[in-house]
Amino acid sequence: MRAVEPWVEGPLAAFLDESAARLTLLMTSAGQVLAQHGFTRAFDVMSAAALGAGIMASTDELARLMDAPPFRALAHQGVHHGLFLSGFDTPQGRWIGLVVFGPESSLGLVQLFFQRLVADLAKQAPTEAPSNRVLGSDFEDELNASLRTLFGQ
Amino acid sequence: MSLVNFTSREITCKIVYYGPGRSGKTSNLQYIYGRVPEARRGRMVSLATKGDRTLFFDFLPLELGTISGFVTRFQLYTVPGQVYYNATRKLVLQGADGIVFVADSQARRFDDNLESLQNLQENLLAHGVDIRELPLVYQYNKQDLPADLILGPDELDDALNFRAVQSFGADCLSGNGVFETLRGISELVLKRLAAGSRVA
Repeated sequence: MRAVEPWVEGPLAAFLDESAARLTLLMTSAGQVLAQHGFTRAFDVMSAAALGAGIMASTDELARLMDAPPFRALAHQGVHHGLFLSGFDTPQGRWIGLVVFGPESSLGLVQLFFQRLVADLAKQAPTEAPSNRVLGSDFEDELNASLRTLFGQ
Repeated sequence: MSLVNFTSREITCKIVYYGPGRSGKTSNLQYIYGRVPEARRGRMVSLATKGDRTLFFDFLPLELGTISGFVTRFQLYTVPGQVYYNATRKLVLQGADGIVFVADSQARRFDDNLESLQNLQENLLAHGVDIRELPLVYQYNKQDLPADLILGPDELDDALNFRAVQSFGADCLSGNGVFETLRGISELVLKRLAAGSRVA
């Protein structure tokens, strides 16, 4: 399990333990990864986040067209895996959860513990504004060298 | 919005290629995908119609390498250029850290470029973003076409480049100007990030 913000780790670990989910991804509504479990390649995580955020953004817009509140969750049942996708509000803004589960779990179980995860995250989230830490002064110097290396110029 | 993780020392930024239909946005990503070593890129995801027109977006994750101890990753997106798909175009723009405006250099597409630029401004505004404050570069694609069919970079700069930002002549199919454009926007986005970043 990896999380950008340490306070996410406890609630997410509890969710993974109880739901037996195979893959779990928490992201911002723009598709930036905040925490993940089960993915082995960073690039796959980013692709899954981009697609998950795209699905949620589309359904939110469909709801808006119907003058309805946003859909809370979507579920797809495949032959080997099920997929659960849900948007939720946190003190840090709107997040999206994407959960992939196998036959050792079920949609009901995932939904149940996902609700608890959302409540736990709301309790754990820091309420103070993030500090204005910035990247080191050497960042910009090294940036030019790295761009030269990557682009061969 | 860029994500800087000081714990795992990772930076992730989102760059969106915007422009009128068939201007070459997907071709940019396809060229980059074909040239960047496999270890530095993920799979290219394309949500397209049967006719290979972008329906929702193309997505390509790239790793720039380690800068000042931070693993730096870019998420490259394209939007569907066709006027019909404005709703999805607006969604893809959400959280963008930088924009590459891919203009079609053909003289007959002049109005389409203007319309798309205006549409970009409106869609950014819908997300509360002022186009004058976001890292932006222009790419004038199809500069390889016969001179009597196209407008030169200077003419396109006069018509479109209201902020006098960096612009690049390009021919995406052969790759001319593709990496120069990516380098230009990468530099702008990361320099802006270095000036003031979000802590995670």
